[in-house]
Amino acid sequence: MGVMIKRRVIAAAVVAGLCGSVANAATTVTVAAFPALDAAVKAAIPRYKKLHPDVEIKLVSLAYADHHVAMTTSLATGANLPDVMAVEVGFIGKFAESGGLEDLGKPPYNAWQYKDKFARFTVPQATGPNGSLAAIPVDIGPGTLLYRKDLMDKAGVTEADLTKSWESYIESGKKLKAATGAYLIASAADIKDIYIRSGLKDGEGVYFDKAGKSVVDSPRFVKAFELAKAAHTAGVDGKISAWSNEWAEGFKRGQIATQMMGAWLAGHLQNWLAPNTKGAWRAAQLPAGAFASWGGSFYAIPTKAAHKPEAWEFIKFLTLNKEMQIEAFRKLDAFPALIEAQNDPFIDQPIEFLGGQKARQLWKVAAEKIPAIDVDKYDSIAQEIVNAELEKVLEQNKDIPKALADAKALIERRARRR
Amino acid sequence: MEAPMSTSRSGAAAPAKSRRRLQPWEWAPYVFISPFFILFLCFGLFPLLFSVWLSFHSWDAATGLGGMVWVGIENYEFVLGDEWFHKSLFNTFWLAVASGLPQHLVAIPLAFFAHTYLAKYRNTVVGIYFLPFITSSVAIALVFNSLFSRDFGIVNLALTSIGNFEVAGIHPLAWLFPTSNIDWGQPQYTKPMIAFVVFWRYVGWNTVLYLSALQTIPNDLYEAATIDGASRRQQFWYITLPLLKPMMFLAVTMTIIGNLQLFEEPFIITGGTGGLDQAGKTAAMHMYNTAFVDSDFGTASAVAWVLFMLIALLTVVNNKVFSQKD
Amino acid sequence: MAIVTKRVSPTRWFAYFIVAAGSIIMLAPFWFMFVFATHTNTEILSVPPPVWFGDAFVGNLNLLLDKLPFFWKNLGWSFYIAIAVTVLNLFFCSLAGYAFAMYHFKYKERLFAVIMATVMLPSFVGMIPTALVMSWLGWMNQPKALIIPSACGAFGIFMMRQYISSAIPRELTEAARIDGCSEFGIYWRVVLPLITPALGTLGLVTFIGSWNNFAGPLIVIRDMEMFTVPLALRALQGTGQVPWGAISAGSAIAVLPLLVIFVISSRRLIAGLTSGAIKG
Repeated sequence: MGVMIKRRVIAAAVVAGLCGSVANAATTVTVAAFPALDAAVKAAIPRYKKLHPDVEIKLVSLAYADHHVAMTTSLATGANLPDVMAVEVGFIGKFAESGGLEDLGKPPYNAWQYKDKFARFTVPQATGPNGSLAAIPVDIGPGTLLYRKDLMDKAGVTEADLTKSWESYIESGKKLKAATGAYLIASAADIKDIYIRSGLKDGEGVYFDKAGKSVVDSPRFVKAFELAKAAHTAGVDGKISAWSNEWAEGFKRGQIATQMMGAWLAGHLQNWLAPNTKGAWRAAQLPAGAFASWGGSFYAIPTKAAHKPEAWEFIKFLTLNKEMQIEAFRKLDAFPALIEAQNDPFIDQPIEFLGGQKARQLWKVAAEKIPAIDVDKYDSIAQEIVNAELEKVLEQNKDIPKALADAKALIERRARRR
Repeated sequence: MEAPMSTSRSGAAAPAKSRRRLQPWEWAPYVFISPFFILFLCFGLFPLLFSVWLSFHSWDAATGLGGMVWVGIENYEFVLGDEWFHKSLFNTFWLAVASGLPQHLVAIPLAFFAHTYLAKYRNTVVGIYFLPFITSSVAIALVFNSLFSRDFGIVNLALTSIGNFEVAGIHPLAWLFPTSNIDWGQPQYTKPMIAFVVFWRYVGWNTVLYLSALQTIPNDLYEAATIDGASRRQQFWYITLPLLKPMMFLAVTMTIIGNLQLFEEPFIITGGTGGLDQAGKTAAMHMYNTAFVDSDFGTASAVAWVLFMLIALLTVVNNKVFSQKD
Repeated sequence: MAIVTKRVSPTRWFAYFIVAAGSIIMLAPFWFMFVFATHTNTEILSVPPPVWFGDAFVGNLNLLLDKLPFFWKNLGWSFYIAIAVTVLNLFFCSLAGYAFAMYHFKYKERLFAVIMATVMLPSFVGMIPTALVMSWLGWMNQPKALIIPSACGAFGIFMMRQYISSAIPRELTEAARIDGCSEFGIYWRVVLPLITPALGTLGLVTFIGSWNNFAGPLIVIRDMEMFTVPLALRALQGTGQVPWGAISAGSAIAVLPLLVIFVISSRRLIAGLTSGAIKG
């Protein structure tokens, strides 16, 4: 067995040597991404080839979850690593802490110089605990409240009613239910999700404080749970989870009247969720002056990547090139992280699906105001636990302080190795 | 057709040749079984040992191999005392029984029925029951989400229309069937739904197994029994079932092992989360999430080994149960 | 095999009815997969879903080929890998199963227990170390990384041992040995022809398993041109807009070979039934 491996290693080295000499002719940069980000990469390839005819770009695309499983495996083993790795915001905390990614803040990359070119909340997300810059932001998802204008009119509810405060938002839901029978919101958990993110300052975490202590029993969470429960008790939530068939059908039939999500949801509604509701929707800022982001992607270079300089050139093209960012914005609804691209005239165009509203201006404002929240590698666990406890509060009438105390205990148990 | 494994005939049949040289039938079996062991040594053993080693470490895989930290048996202590693991084990056993038992209770009579009565259409019928086994999981997820939709799903429509069935002002079936739409996402429905999908997916596979075993039962046994005046039912109980035992052992073992590692169906149906209150989260899913969502590969390996012990234990019990009846 | 009876009892009519009703439940998802392949996303995500064919199949296929330019190639790889795995498994598993069923040798029970133990370990922990092994061997991104390690499955051996020990009388192999048949000759000329029904079943399940294998290709294959079908189809699914119609079209195309294989192997089952030697 040992001999066998040895021989393999030699063979592999020989093969690698051969490939190396071939590679001088045309370097192949492998980019690993997931939908819909892969479409932006695909669109960039022909443009990039014009500038760099000597570089081939190979795209590998996997489903969102599969992509991150494959990347984790690759980082673990150092094998099959791409040159450019797309990382979604949900994994950036973990990957940035791992040490398997190049510190782009250091030479030869010196990426800190571009810091102010991007939406201000993005760069801190990609910053590792030791101050390293693990990735460059490419797109963001500024949060917005989409609502059915026609249904609100019928119920005599104004936009101000919806956004003034959470109490008035829920109150509007009651009126709406009485007048139209539609649910205000698909899931009461959405209210909780936004409330726990509102009022945070730069550098604060959602679930953990600076010392890594869980803060899920703070008043912020208590209030979030209370609001969600109030909405549930009032019967204005549809108990429908996002991306389910029921959700899509609820939009089509006008049974879900508002949805808080990333701005890109408007594009999804238009393209396939509910094309029949064209013109009936409007966008507003989130209720009670909250600002939050949904999703967002980054590009990173693994430390063991084969073609780092070429990878870095391509990342700069994808993230810092205004034309590229605008194209992705226009064609794919990917809200650019690059501020320069946000200033494109495209931002002022009316959106037909939203009744001609110039909603992108609104989202740009939101992008500026979203706080630079500190991401933690245990965020996903904390989120899962908090959601489970909220479910108990809503469905089994569990006492809120008890639920949050339980959540805290569970989180600290699972984050035992901090 | 007596139990063929009980005697050592090949030794007895060996002609009295010189004892010095190994006879072909003495070394041949080792050659015949060697491919498995060679492959296992090359590809199976290392991952196995690695995961044992890993289960004594704290490791976030994204940090690379250098990031492993020895923690002794802490992972095992954590797993054995972990509420989530206990819950996932309970779910796993619940699902294993609720989906496994009906599979065999249906598959055996179905195979017998198809074998005995469905001359011309046997393959078609068995083929139809086998179809779920080869359907892609993507299609399954889509279809089931749609069928079990709370407000618009066909399943709810069917159930409530039976429940609300009205004769002369009374609802005779309301006690058994729901009268309003069921929210299938609620924890109390998650497990039955998954159990149904697992049953649906594997009942045909077991039927095929039993059918292929039924074909090895010689026809003259039935003919003799018929001449002796045995009814069909008696033939089933006294000829078919006993002769099916080896295949039952195989099929039940496979079901036990498969069901205790149940992953794909609950993963698809609950969208990877295990559903509300983790009601549909199996031990294998718990392990997967511990590894790839929580990035805690050491604990995940410990989960795997605890699960392995349990499966091994049950397999041994199953072995005992089947050999006792002899 | 069918026993000719003049009168069909009510019980049996009831059984026919149950079996027929069950068939509908079994068929439904298949039906939907083909129906979905001919509908747009918006139609598919409607509730209730469409139950009859639409006219979007060509559109779905174009979308599929646009998003997965290598789809036909992916299909080819899936075929190549599944056939190779199946052939190797049929040979190695039946050989090993034959040894365990018909021979007596030292450590037999223990060796068999080892084989059985290997299937009881949940597989996901093995993903990362397997990736390590493959990268050491330099097999990353190569089909053989999916073929060779799964060339001889424990289940196959288990199944073959079980079948051979119940279907083949030992007198038969001994007679062959006395006639001067070599040990491998006994397997090849006497045993193999008699176990075709089990080979059919094992072949079918191995093929399906390999065809639907997802975790293996996920860690080993990093080149979209080399993807297998499940990996390719999964690559279409992101958060948000998932082209369900295109995925259904792809799944429907991918499942057709399995259907063909199933029809063929159910013929093998019949062949096994009619070959007289079994009825010993």
